[in-house]
Amino acid sequence: MNMTIFSNTVFLDFIKGPMVWLSFIIFGLGLIVQTIRLLKLTRIKEARRFAPDAAIVPQTDLSKWERFTRYFAFLRITVLGANACLVLVSFIFHVCLVITPIFVLGHNVLLDTSFGISLVSFPEQISDILTKFVIAGGLLFFMRRLFLRRVRMISTVNDFILLFVAVAPFLTGFLAYHHIFNYNIMIVLHILCGELMLMLIPFSKFFHMVFFFISRFMIVSEHSLGSPKRSWQY
Amino acid sequence: MGTTTEINTDTIQSILKQNRKQIKLGLAMCAHCSLCAESCFLFVSNDNDPEYMPSYKFINSIGKLYRKKGKVSKQALEEMRDLVFEKCVLCTRCYCPFGIDIPSLITLGRNVCRSQGLFREYDR
Ligand code: HEM
Ligand code: SF4
Ligand code: SF4
Repeated sequence: MNMTIFSNTVFLDFIKGPMVWLSFIIFGLGLIVQTIRLLKLTRIKEARRFAPDAAIVPQTDLSKWERFTRYFAFLRITVLGANACLVLVSFIFHVCLVITPIFVLGHNVLLDTSFGISLVSFPEQISDILTKFVIAGGLLFFMRRLFLRRVRMISTVNDFILLFVAVAPFLTGFLAYHHIFNYNIMIVLHILCGELMLMLIPFSKFFHMVFFFISRFMIVSEHSLGSPKRSWQY
Repeated sequence: MGTTTEINTDTIQSILKQNRKQIKLGLAMCAHCSLCAESCFLFVSNDNDPEYMPSYKFINSIGKLYRKKGKVSKQALEEMRDLVFEKCVLCTRCYCPFGIDIPSLITLGRNVCRSQGLFREYDR
C-alpha cells in the first residue's frame, strides 16, 4: 500500500549502493581536479623573507616566559585575538564535522558488512555528543548570519543553503538515531544529505577544506604558516 | 568629481578579464564569515562600521563588478570609489583565516575606478 518514495526498494537500493559510489567518486575526483587547478594558479618563487633577519635584529637570549608572551602577542593579531569564542566554536564544529562520520559506529558496521573492513568506532554516546556539537555550531553560525549586521551584509542565499547542507546529514542522522519522527524517512534523508554534501565539497565554498591548507601553508604571505615556497600566478 | 561622465564598459571588462581567475577564486572561497573585520584598523576606529570590513569592501567593489560583468552605473562606480579609496588605505594588514589576498582584490577595484576617472579626492 504505502508506495511512497521512502519505501520504494528500487530507489532505496539505488541510494544505498550506486549512489554512494557515485558520490565518493565525484568527491574524490573533484578534489583532485580542483586541487590541480588551484595549484596551477601558483608557482615556486625564490624565498622571500617577511621577518627581519636575525643579523639585523639581534635575538637576545629570550627566557621561556618572554618567548611565550611574544607568541601570545603574535596570536592577538590573528583572528584568535579578536574572535576567540567564534574561533573555538568553529574549531569544534569543524573537528566534529570531519571525524564523526568516519568513526560513527553505524558507518563502520556498513563498511564491515560490505567489505569486511572497518575502522575503530566511537562509543555511541560520544558520537551523539559530537553530532550535537555540529548541530549547535551550525545553529550558532545561522544565528550570527541572521542577526549580526556585519555578517548579514555579506551573506548570500548560498551561504544559508550550504550551511544547511553541511548540518543536514548530522541533523537527520541524529533524528534517525533517536527515532524522532519517522525513522525510515529520516534515514533516507540522511543518506541523501550526506551524498549531497560529499558531492558539493569540491565545487562549492566547502573547497576551503583544501584551499585553506594551500593558501596558508604553501603560499608565501605575511600570514602564511610553515615555510611556503610558492606564490600566486593567477 | 571624476573627469569622465560616461562609463567605458569595455575598459572595465578588459580589467576583469585579465584578472578573472584571481577575482573568481577570491569570491568563491570567501566564506562570508566576517572574521577579517577586526584586522582592519579603519573598521575598529570607525565604531565597527561594517562598511569598513575588508570583505565588504572587496565584495562590493570588484566582486560586484565581476558579477555584473562590468555593467554598472556611474553612481554605483562612485559608491565603489568611496569603498576602495576612502574606506581603505591599502595598508595590507587585513587578516583572513583562509589567506584570501584582500588588499590585491581591493587594488583591482581601484584599478577599475581609476580607469573611469574616479580616484581619491583629497580635498573632500
Ligand atoms: C578540513 C579542513 C577545513 C578547514 C581548515 C576549515 C576552515 C574554515 C574556516 C577558517 C572557516 C571560516 C570561519 C568560520 O566561519 O567559522 C570555515 C567556515 C565554514 N566551514 Fe570549514 N573548514 C574545513 C572543512 C570544512 C568542511 C569539510 C565543511 C563542510 C562540508 C566545512 C563547512 C564550513 C561552513 C558551512 C563554514 C561557514 C560557517 C558560517 O556560516 O559562518 N568546512 N571553515
Ligand atoms: S575575506 Fe576571509 S575572513 Fe573575510 S569574510 Fe571572507 S573568508 Fe571570512
Ligand atoms: S588594506 Fe584596507 S581593508 Fe585591509 S586592513 Fe588596510 S585599510 Fe583595512
